[in-house]
Amino acid sequence: MANKRTIIFFWALLLVPTLIMAGVAAKLLSHEQERMNRSAFLALTQRADAIARSIHLTIEAVEENLTQSLLKIDPKNLKPILLKWEQTNPLVRNVFIFQRGNKLAYPVRGMASTLEERLFIARYEALFSGNVLFETIDSASERERPEGNLQYGSVKNKKIQSARDQLVKLSKVARQSQQADQIMADSEPNAPIYSLIQAFKPQSGWLPWFSQNRLYILIWAKPLQNGPVYGLELELMTLLSRLVVDFPVLENDMAALVLMDGNQNYIHQSGNLNLKANVKPTATVAVSRLLPHWQIGVFKDERGLGTTDGFFILSIILVAIFIVAIFTGGILITRMTLQNIKDARQKTSFVSSVSHELKTPLTSIRMYAELLLSGRVKDAVKKETYLSVIVGESERLTRLINNVLDFSKLEQGKKKYQMIHVEVDTFLYQLIETHKIRIKQQGLEIIIHVAEEDFNIKTDRDAIEQVMLNLLDNALKYAGNGQFIKFILQKEEDTILFKICDDGPGIPKSQETMIFEKFHRIDNSLTATQPGSGLGLTIARRILRDLNGDLYIEHMAENGSCFVARVNDQSKRSGQKIRIKNKDKKS
Amino acid sequence: MADGINIWRNRGFKSLSIAGFIVLIVLTSMAVAATPVSKVICKVETDRAVLPAGDSQNVVLKVTLDAPPTPVHINRPKVNLALVLDQSGSMSGTKIEQAKAAAVEALTRLGVQDVFGVVVYDTNVHTIVPAQNAINLNGIIRTIKQISAGGSTALFGGVSQGAAEIRKNIENDYIHRIILLSDGLANVGPRLPEDLGRLGAALLKENISVTTVGVGVDYNEDLMARLAQRSDGNTYFVESGFDLPRIFAAELGAVLNVVAKQVKVTITLSRDVRPVNIIGREGRIKGRKIELSMNQLYGDQEKYALVEVNLPKSIAGSKIKIAQVEVRYENPFNKREEISLGSSYASFSSDLEKVAESSNIDVIREYQLNLNALAQEKAIQLSDQGKNSEAVKKLKQSAAKLEKLGRLYKDKALLKEAEAVVDQAELIEEKGMSKKSRKVLRTKSYQMKNQQMAQ
Repeated sequence: MANKRTIIFFWALLLVPTLIMAGVAAKLLSHEQERMNRSAFLALTQRADAIARSIHLTIEAVEENLTQSLLKIDPKNLKPILLKWEQTNPLVRNVFIFQRGNKLAYPVRGMASTLEERLFIARYEALFSGNVLFETIDSASERERPEGNLQYGSVKNKKIQSARDQLVKLSKVARQSQQADQIMADSEPNAPIYSLIQAFKPQSGWLPWFSQNRLYILIWAKPLQNGPVYGLELELMTLLSRLVVDFPVLENDMAALVLMDGNQNYIHQSGNLNLKANVKPTATVAVSRLLPHWQIGVFKDERGLGTTDGFFILSIILVAIFIVAIFTGGILITRMTLQNIKDARQKTSFVSSVSHELKTPLTSIRMYAELLLSGRVKDAVKKETYLSVIVGESERLTRLINNVLDFSKLEQGKKKYQMIHVEVDTFLYQLIETHKIRIKQQGLEIIIHVAEEDFNIKTDRDAIEQVMLNLLDNALKYAGNGQFIKFILQKEEDTILFKICDDGPGIPKSQETMIFEKFHRIDNSLTATQPGSGLGLTIARRILRDLNGDLYIEHMAENGSCFVARVNDQSKRSGQKIRIKNKDKKS
Repeated sequence: MADGINIWRNRGFKSLSIAGFIVLIVLTSMAVAATPVSKVICKVETDRAVLPAGDSQNVVLKVTLDAPPTPVHINRPKVNLALVLDQSGSMSGTKIEQAKAAAVEALTRLGVQDVFGVVVYDTNVHTIVPAQNAINLNGIIRTIKQISAGGSTALFGGVSQGAAEIRKNIENDYIHRIILLSDGLANVGPRLPEDLGRLGAALLKENISVTTVGVGVDYNEDLMARLAQRSDGNTYFVESGFDLPRIFAAELGAVLNVVAKQVKVTITLSRDVRPVNIIGREGRIKGRKIELSMNQLYGDQEKYALVEVNLPKSIAGSKIKIAQVEVRYENPFNKREEISLGSSYASFSSDLEKVAESSNIDVIREYQLNLNALAQEKAIQLSDQGKNSEAVKKLKQSAAKLEKLGRLYKDKALLKEAEAVVDQAELIEEKGMSKKSRKVLRTKSYQMKNQQMAQ
């Protein structure tokens, strides 16, 4: 019990810190996970910021180009040029010319305008009615402008133009076509215009305009103090369509970058995260002052950014390996310890039974020797009987000691065999003859079946004798209340089969393999009354196996048991093997 | 009586199309000039050739543009086609399989000189076949077959990406077209019909048309119709995926047969004739000038515009010229601008029987069908406002009018349409405006107003 406790104690001593370590490791992992999530999120936000900046620069370039184009239109050809833009340039949704005296020169009100133009006028009624002056509106472009467009220009050397390059080009095309028109228009020298420009600083603006909660953008110009205000309404869908195409692709299932308009509608999504309705972005980045209230939203999965599963599985696997290792180790140690305890018990019982075995013949020898020494026994027949008992008991003692000696030799692999030719049948007859008295004394009938074969083989005579004696002793001990003992000698090719059978109580099937284990004795009433070391069968089987044979139990039809020894002819079979085996054992 | 007068400025025609010639003779019984090549013929007709004399009155002018067949011996224009396919989750199953089959069908109809690209969209947009000449068919087909459905519907992004693919070859001399297929509501990106309409209008400026194909009963028909209308493409409604290959085939047939591009119609009314209204089309009325535009005409197609004008007081036996029509368009085969002219006259009579006899059923029918299309749109609008009974009433009124005229002129087309409208109205009366009914109405009215060829 003390042992078990110690084992459990040490086991727990190992298990507890390991579990604590596993827990700490898992905690660390989750912290690491969180840290990585944070840095991934930061990277994502930075990316959104970069995208926003790039969009801003693009729109700024568009704005710059469009306002410059507008300012440079030849006032004489203002209307045809603007109309041409409207018809051919996808960036231009509507154009307008607003005359001095608050009169809308184009588009005209009424049926001469298309529905779209009529709606356009309605949208900007506040401006076109003259109630609000263009110049007074604090439009976006009036503020300081960063040096953005130059940076943008450097990207243009790419072989394939990106959609944003094309977008900027669209706004420039307007300028180019206008320049071409200007040349064709055969206009007057620019000098007077120039002087006017000097006197009056041309005004222009980018005007984000909200109508019915939707964003529209008007770009206007007023190059001359007394000239008209004119401009165009930007086709926002063209702008978006081009921006969307160049929006960087985000190959991430756990996150999304979403371009959102002022009403938080999703314009474009990058990243595969499935966004549910009314989910608020984790972070937002304003896109551009030119598109007021537009944002890029950074969305991430509630569970984190991507690597969660990997980490989780890894930590689970680690913990599982820990636990499995500890449990298997524990089980192995426990089993080994239990085995050792069992072995120690068997050895103790072995020593006590061997002592008892040695003591029994010794007592008889001593008793009869003392009787003879006292000289009180006069009867010659009695004397002879006593002496034969002494001799018999001595032989038994010898056999027992031989067994013990052989067992230790066999255990250590030091047993040597000397091969000689033996006639096994003759040898069997001699053995039966020698032990006839013992058998008869047990009240058993001797039956011998020897096949008509040549039983001359090469083997170790003493070893075979020991095997046969052990089997005979075994039979005599345990077939005590039987009727007979049967010796059978057969031949199967080069192998001799020696069977010794009885009609005693037999061996339970569950014990058939156990009885060949060292120190094992069947724990029942029969073995309790019989002395024995539990070594005989173990030694017999060991010897036979060393000689390439075997020992096993054959079942009888009724009761009783039958031990079969297979003895091989060493001159014909596996001589080589034996030698090698012996050599191995020596080394 | 309306006369067809065709004047050709371009005399460098190489051959004479007999078919075109015969058509010409038949159509223009009072032909002033016969010409050696097929051109768009401009016919101007009124609903009645002889008008009752007396007070000022309104008449309907029908300006018909009759496109010639595609010349057999001239290579058809090269096509730059981008297919934009919806692969959102709702497309899974038959729909996506049929869409793939349709895409392959489209591909096999193209030649090596044509350009083909495929864009798919769900939550994100992917170009799976970048714009390329239709040469490596097996490779492209393999890529198409790998499409699988799942995710949301980024329709705007899909069309934008499709346009980007088209734009790779925009400088070259192609017929540019996007075919958009969707079965759902756009839930990523702009999704208002107006917004997509603006996108379509912008694309048209780059000569890119978008044909929209709605599959099933869950897509947004207003959005799809508007996008097609603004970009001068066609629109289709298919209830199951099985019609897709047929529609793609038809659509490509039309794309491949463009005979006139950038068509601009200017109707100049005579003095004292006042414009009243343009029916079914967008246009401008500037004083006595009415301006209309159409993007392209297909081979053998007939497109028309209906205009209501007001004639001044008249006396019996007099004859006046109502309008002079000028049609300018680009001939895609020789890239030159061509002009066709037509004019319309009216004579007045006090004999009402004569007036009735002179009725032109073609004009009356198309006018009525267009009014019916407008009634259908109005019905949708009413139903959207929850006024189902008024919508039904509107449809039934329109049907009654169609039927009355159908009986009067013994016109089968009008009677058939009247019957269809009555059925539609009864269906709505019985079960309310179902998704399907709404789609049928919207698509039919669109197809009517735009005289879509393939239906």
